[in-house]
Amino acid sequence: MAAVGYRPYFSAGLKEWIFTTDHKKIGIMYGVTSLIFFLIAGLSALAVRMELYQPGLQYMSEDTYNQALTVHGVIMQFWWAVGIWSSFGNYLLPLMIGARDVAFPRLNALSYWFFFAASVLAIITLLPGNHIKMMWTGYPPFSLNDNAGPVAFYTLIIHLLGASSLASAINLVVTNLTMRAPGITLKKMNLFLHSFLAMNVIQILGVPALAGAVTMLLMDKYFQTAFFDPTRGGDPLLYQNLFWFYSHPVVYVMILPAFGLISEMIATFSRREIFGKTSMIFAIWGIAILGFMVWIHHMFTSGVPDWIRILFSYTTVLIGVPTGIKIFNWIFTLYKGSIRFTAPMLYTLSAIFMFLIGGLTGIPLGLPAFDIAVHDSHFVVAHFHYVLGMALTLAAFGGFHYWYPKFTGRMYSELWAKIALVLIMIGSNLFYFLQFIVGLEGMPRRYADYPAIDSWIRLHELQTYGAMILGFGILVAVANLILSTKLGKKADGNPWQSPSLEWLVPSPPPPHNFDKIPHMPEDWDPYNYEWLEKQHKKQ
Amino acid sequence: MKEILAYPANYWQTMYEIWLFISVVIYLVVFLPAAYFLIKYRYRKGVNEKAQEVKESKALEVLWTIIPTIVVIYLATHSFAFYRIQRNAPENALEIKVTAFMWGWEFEYPNGKKVYSFFNSVVNPETNVYLKPEEVNDMFKAYIPEDTPIKVLCTSRDVIHSFYVHPAKVTEDCVPGRITHLWFQINQQGDYWVFCREYCGTQHSKMAAVLKVVPKGEFEKWLNQGVQSNNPSDKQNL
Repeated sequence: MAAVGYRPYFSAGLKEWIFTTDHKKIGIMYGVTSLIFFLIAGLSALAVRMELYQPGLQYMSEDTYNQALTVHGVIMQFWWAVGIWSSFGNYLLPLMIGARDVAFPRLNALSYWFFFAASVLAIITLLPGNHIKMMWTGYPPFSLNDNAGPVAFYTLIIHLLGASSLASAINLVVTNLTMRAPGITLKKMNLFLHSFLAMNVIQILGVPALAGAVTMLLMDKYFQTAFFDPTRGGDPLLYQNLFWFYSHPVVYVMILPAFGLISEMIATFSRREIFGKTSMIFAIWGIAILGFMVWIHHMFTSGVPDWIRILFSYTTVLIGVPTGIKIFNWIFTLYKGSIRFTAPMLYTLSAIFMFLIGGLTGIPLGLPAFDIAVHDSHFVVAHFHYVLGMALTLAAFGGFHYWYPKFTGRMYSELWAKIALVLIMIGSNLFYFLQFIVGLEGMPRRYADYPAIDSWIRLHELQTYGAMILGFGILVAVANLILSTKLGKKADGNPWQSPSLEWLVPSPPPPHNFDKIPHMPEDWDPYNYEWLEKQHKKQ
Repeated sequence: MKEILAYPANYWQTMYEIWLFISVVIYLVVFLPAAYFLIKYRYRKGVNEKAQEVKESKALEVLWTIIPTIVVIYLATHSFAFYRIQRNAPENALEIKVTAFMWGWEFEYPNGKKVYSFFNSVVNPETNVYLKPEEVNDMFKAYIPEDTPIKVLCTSRDVIHSFYVHPAKVTEDCVPGRITHLWFQINQQGDYWVFCREYCGTQHSKMAAVLKVVPKGEFEKWLNQGVQSNNPSDKQNL
């Protein structure tokens, strides 16, 4: 299977990068764009945190604060939490299924350039005069108000991202279902592939609802329609329903791929197949389906009838069951394993425990009797920063380290990766755990300023310190990843000794991935580590 | 029942304690075995170089599907029972109409008396820093009788706001074109915060009001004093 003598795919000229249809190059472009925006959104979060350090407005006006928070929300959601998975999906999916590229390579390039166009628009909104100050949710009637900023930008950004996501999702689903090499059955597919399949199906079903919502918003604001304007017979809650019909499932678009990565890394570093793989697959689809039936919990205090709130509280807490199954299966994968504490494994374990805290604090938010006091408080913010902020980011950074030799042909510095993780864990827990407490004490969300209640001041101070440590940890991790492309040791083709197909090609892979489409034998399985050892013995 | 500061916060408190207990138990149920496995089955040269064969266990799978299902359904049902009380005001509740606007609150009492609270009436006009609730001018405070259930009917004049009564731990959005409701009762005299909980623009973070809880007799006296200079036509002068 090995191909020797090719120039690595990434040593290409600028022109080749721009006009490429190679899934690996597109994956790298997604990843770099995503990371740059991750750092921008991170900096805006630090600005927000600095402002909250003390009550009163020290560093910025309310409008600047609102804009910084909007930038943080929109960019973290769409460029990082969703965008980064386009990178992993594009790069790894064809390799894992033994294909030379995705099903529609040109469409894939188009997806990226839509994403790029949205990125340019997002940068333009950072310029003075174009500031959007309506938070990432953009609820009307506020977003119809001039105070919100240029809504047209927001709408176009969402449309470009939506087109990008839809094209990419269809592409990857088709690739996954039709282009698997002989011997890779649905049951033998990596859990990574299963979670990306479910994630892309959610995108295909959900994106149209959001696209519809923002289109109506655009028409309300600029073409005098009245979908959401109550003074002319519209209903602002219609927007919330459409918005959350996509934007709740989208949290599973963000977290399911993270689950996929966690499964890969847990299996490889325990040298064992995932415990209860079949139930893992059912759990993924259970989450995907239930995910479409819970959106009202974002509207528990919005004036919808009480019986709907109760109905959706049951569906919401039931999501805890499949996610619980996944966590228990991961833990039992460790049982009787041979566990190696490499940096990606430590990132993965951290991700699981951060997710556990995030998940346990998500359950009460599904209980109206609890939510009534903390809806739109910092408790909610802390909850989704544990799940989407930290579990997702730790899984993604774990993935960066795990596949680093595959992407670049070199190894990262193990020591610095671990130092970065320690900083990230100390900073994030100091930050987000105290955010739960200030939320329980009633601190409302999206406040540039707050009254001088003693416990709030102390909690905000400590949170700001935590955020600084977290930011520094991320910086160390990113610096390590960047510097190791030059300083890292040359990596072996399969440093983790995994039988998963992407590791059976050289690192970095040749431009066409496989000289010959592989035929996977009966006894092969992406998690069958014995099989790989037998192959070594045969040679 | 003086020891409880405000209703229906006591129900929230119970729900919170039940959830916290269950969460800590679940966390330990996951964490302790994980920690044990991580130490026991760590890679050691010559001792634990290879993973051992493990049989799939249907019993375990069923166990950790059914028990969490029972736990979450129990929690949701408990919440259902509490929520009925938290949402439905007692029959004898005093009704107050609240209208939110960018950025302030209008309180209208049954006899037509109105109180306005603006974003700049809760801050020090020179430094723009929040005052303590007791430092806010009484003119801008909504008086609330002690030990009396209050039903708030809420709506908005412009964008969506959310009426959050800090001590009572209840919040409900104020949506233009709709009337929403919530209730609370405060059992101790004093000044308490109301915050806007739904993002509404520049002064969102200053869109607070103060509830002044006074004995019933004093409240009656205040209610019948009539409206002083605090009326809508003065809004521009503030």
